[in-house]
Amino acid sequence: MRNSGHSNWRVWRHLGMAVLALPTLAMANADVEKNIANSKNWAMQAGDMFNQRYSKLNQINKGNVGKMQVAWTFSTGVLRGHEGSPLVIDGTMYLHSPFPNKVFAIDLDTQKILWKYEPKQDPAVIPQMCCDTVNRGLAFAEGKVILQQADSMLVALDAKTGKVVWSTKNGDPKLGAVNTNAPHVFKDKVITGISGGEWGVRGFIAAYNLKDGKPAWKAYSVGPDAEMLMDPDKTMTWTDGKMAPVGKDSSLKTWKGDQWKTGGGTTWGWYSYDKALNLMYYGTGNPSTWNPSQRPGDNKWSMTIFARDVDTGMAKWAYQMTPFDEWDFDGINEMILADINVKGKPTKALVHFDRNGFAYTMDRVTGALLVAEKYDPKVNWATHVDMKTGRPAVVAKYSTAQNGPDVNTKGICPAALGSKDQQPASYDPNTKLFYVPTNHVCMDYEPFKVEYTAGQPYVGATLSMFPAPGSHGGMGNYITWDAGTGKIVQSKPEKFSVWSGSLNTAGGLSCYGTLEGYMKCVDAKDIKKELFKFKTPSGIIGNVFTYEHKGKQYIGVFSGIGGWAGIGMAAGLEKDQDGLGAVGGYKELSQYTELGGSLTVFALPN
Amino acid sequence: MKLKQFLLMGLMVCGATAVHADDKLYTVVDGYKVDANTMKGFRAWRAAACDRCHGANQEGLVGPSLITSLKTLSKEEFVKTVKEGRLPKGMQSFGNSPAVMDNIDQLYAYLKGRSDGAITRAKVEPIQQ
Repeated sequence: MRNSGHSNWRVWRHLGMAVLALPTLAMANADVEKNIANSKNWAMQAGDMFNQRYSKLNQINKGNVGKMQVAWTFSTGVLRGHEGSPLVIDGTMYLHSPFPNKVFAIDLDTQKILWKYEPKQDPAVIPQMCCDTVNRGLAFAEGKVILQQADSMLVALDAKTGKVVWSTKNGDPKLGAVNTNAPHVFKDKVITGISGGEWGVRGFIAAYNLKDGKPAWKAYSVGPDAEMLMDPDKTMTWTDGKMAPVGKDSSLKTWKGDQWKTGGGTTWGWYSYDKALNLMYYGTGNPSTWNPSQRPGDNKWSMTIFARDVDTGMAKWAYQMTPFDEWDFDGINEMILADINVKGKPTKALVHFDRNGFAYTMDRVTGALLVAEKYDPKVNWATHVDMKTGRPAVVAKYSTAQNGPDVNTKGICPAALGSKDQQPASYDPNTKLFYVPTNHVCMDYEPFKVEYTAGQPYVGATLSMFPAPGSHGGMGNYITWDAGTGKIVQSKPEKFSVWSGSLNTAGGLSCYGTLEGYMKCVDAKDIKKELFKFKTPSGIIGNVFTYEHKGKQYIGVFSGIGGWAGIGMAAGLEKDQDGLGAVGGYKELSQYTELGGSLTVFALPN
Repeated sequence: MKLKQFLLMGLMVCGATAVHADDKLYTVVDGYKVDANTMKGFRAWRAAACDRCHGANQEGLVGPSLITSLKTLSKEEFVKTVKEGRLPKGMQSFGNSPAVMDNIDQLYAYLKGRSDGAITRAKVEPIQQ
């Protein structure tokens, strides 16, 4: 009896374990996958794990979008920049705000607030956030809402009650290691990064167990191989026109002394995941400081596209886009995964629009470099990317290192905020094109020597920015891009940078917001055709999203000017610019908009 | 031109005497050539990346305009604010930054010169000896 009882227990336990184990082994992200598969939801920040920002909903379409009206609005009660977007899962909307990082759960039947969470955070983190106190949104999985707070606390909330399930500390805000990125759930892990490249923070990507918040792995961007989770023999990189192992001490060899310890390479972008390969993809940011002369070497692996095994964190491959950065071209922008034809060949591709003005198409399986072309014709700091070495051909005139400290290098395109910053692009499987919100801004850049002091800014350059000269006078373009050939298909000029994530839908639409505060939808087949335009309460730096509730499709976006574009930019532009001044500049933004965060949701009239 | 410069110098000296007995806070020629101390102040401004919040020309951004603030803020209040910060308002503490605290008087002189209108552009250069 005892034996039999015991064995019964064992059988039961084995069965139970097997059942329990299924989701964690074969389909560990089953819940997220189920939520994504239902197009009525907007279950991840990009709508899916490929970062495509595409929705199959088609009730609102090319023919009727012009009739779209405001269905409801919601104020977050927070000023400053509103990036990211809410999530919608099974009739509930989960909304975040910039610092103090409030979270609201809203019942979509009644628009009533079901619960609200507001963390207590040390206000000392406010001044440590480089470019406004933005937060790029929440993640949702297995009944938990995941919030990555500014002060680096990663928190899981019970989606039903808003009560804290677990919380864990991700960085040391006293050293400037704060957070702005959205957490991402891949498999049974919550993936998050870190900010603070302007504080000399050593960047890393970290995985925590979704179940209990315990650390699973952590991979630094720079430093010793073991701490980067890099295998000198197995981690591959593009070398002389083919993939080859990175070799021993691939990062250490490219830094002077122990400068890597304050070397940057932060990771505050949008990550993607390919379940079939079990690889996650993300980019690393600028090396610290902004004064290149102070940190000779390639500064690996800052400015790098990484592919890592989600279970172990081990790097499968890495590709450094901007070795020895001289312009603050952070490589953190989103990695979009799409199966497309590249130069006529069907390819499992990764497409990335980098701050440096080049769009990269990589083989996401192997890490091979396939295409690297300018996605703004004004890009001038490099003539091209050498496809054999994978290195940009830097133009001496625009090299802030060659010109040296205390010399103002003028007319560099793009500006530090890049031909595109964090505002994520979308991919439309119908047109097979990428829809890219871009900046059309150039800069003067004067580096100077700076000493590192823990917890103090570690910048080391003065910048001023202005609209790309000899162009349409505006500071942005909305473009379509063929990633298979590396060519701009269409370019729609915008007065200001397009700092809003775009959305494409099966209704043939491509929608984005503008800094003046317009929510726009254009024809995905001809983006110059504006089909819908509405002025929201403030400038838009949030991402357009869509969902369906009770048979009706809604399209929504945060407005709330801020971020680097809305606030930081104006700095440089106040400076007298040899006659360029504020021609078409951001200064004019004040004629259109003021601070204030709110959500505007649109739908067709009943 | 000469007269204008003379008047400006005069104004500047007056402004300075009001604060600091007979000590001149700063010396400026042509609006942007400054004495060695004021240069140190500018370098402290730059090293601490104050322009992130106060704007490249001190005109104000996320943080207030220092052109305006320094018209009313006393030297003591200025030092306290820089040292301790105003955290809820987003002003950090520079108390442990040698680049700033070792040059706090010079930083004040530079910013006061900007606020007075005597230093006419943010980027200054040393007076050639």
